Amino acid sequence: MTKDKGATGRPESHLPLAPATFEILLALVDGERHGYVIMKEVAERTEGAVRLGPGTLYGALKRLLEGGLVEEGGERADPELGDERRRYYRLTKFGLRVARAEARRLEEMVRAARRKKLIGAELA
Amino acid sequence: MSVPTAPLFTVPGPSRPTAADRIYRLLLRAYPPVFRAEYGREMTQLFRDQCRAGDASSIGFWMIALWDVAQSAPALRVDAWRARGCESTRTLGETMKLVAMLTVLLGMFGALSSVAEGVAGGRQGFGGTFLIAVVLGAVAGALLLVAGVAALRGTPSARQMASRAALASLVVFLLARLVFGWMSIFSQLVGIALPLAILAVLRAPRWRAGAV
Repeated sequence: MTKDKGATGRPESHLPLAPATFEILLALVDGERHGYVIMKEVAERTEGAVRLGPGTLYGALKRLLEGGLVEEGGERADPELGDERRRYYRLTKFGLRVARAEARRLEEMVRAARRKKLIGAELA
Repeated sequence: MSVPTAPLFTVPGPSRPTAADRIYRLLLRAYPPVFRAEYGREMTQLFRDQCRAGDASSIGFWMIALWDVAQSAPALRVDAWRARGCESTRTLGETMKLVAMLTVLLGMFGALSSVAEGVAGGRQGFGGTFLIAVVLGAVAGALLLVAGVAALRGTPSARQMASRAALASLVVFLLARLVFGWMSIFSQLVGIALPLAILAVLRAPRWRAGAV
């Protein structure tokens, strides 16, 4: 996603998403999160293959906020991390539609790869 | 390379800034001011979380932090320029900041990687010529870092210092190249092109006249 297309466009107009952007949306599907939890969840889910530093994470969040895919969910402390206040982020309905559209696109690509026996051939 | 105990980089709590915090705040200057104002506090907070979870005294940790800044800051600068409609009167000043920012990052990266290469080379029994080249490389990197920081300050005396440091870095780097012939193309590009770029921008007519 390179520029602000607003939350009124079609979800498909935001595709394909950058891998880091999709990872952030995936992390927010279960509910609102602050930066450190997003970063940890992505690292754990991808087994360290995608590591979001502060610049990459907040650069992507800024674009997601501008595009209306994500919104701020207020500031509060995370009891597990001390009493510093943290800003939470959550998916918008439009962000969820974009994430679903991207997941469907990726699923279709995986299906095509299976048909071509790039993957799953050992099971056939 | 890990240092067993490094009190400068420990994270005692949210209220006291550590040396690592201060270095990271300096790195944050690579980002556009508007972005920094909006996300700087959160980025520093996240960086502190990373320090708690990782080893902030290791070179690897800082390499990753530098790579993150080098990867994300230029794109955000470009976004900021676009948002402002690429005002031509500010282009030179912004170019200067971008070159200075790259100089700071790559100077720090060059100095750190020279130290890492020196340690690795020392373990493998490389000779004196290699070590001299590594030391010269580290000095050239440190001079680039000084040039970048001075250029970011932007005062006339700081710009003069930046010019001198960039020139000295170029000379020291060429000396290193003469002492030890083998050097990666990336190192040569950074060591030669970056000081030349900073000298060129500093000597641009509008810059000399004092317009920022």
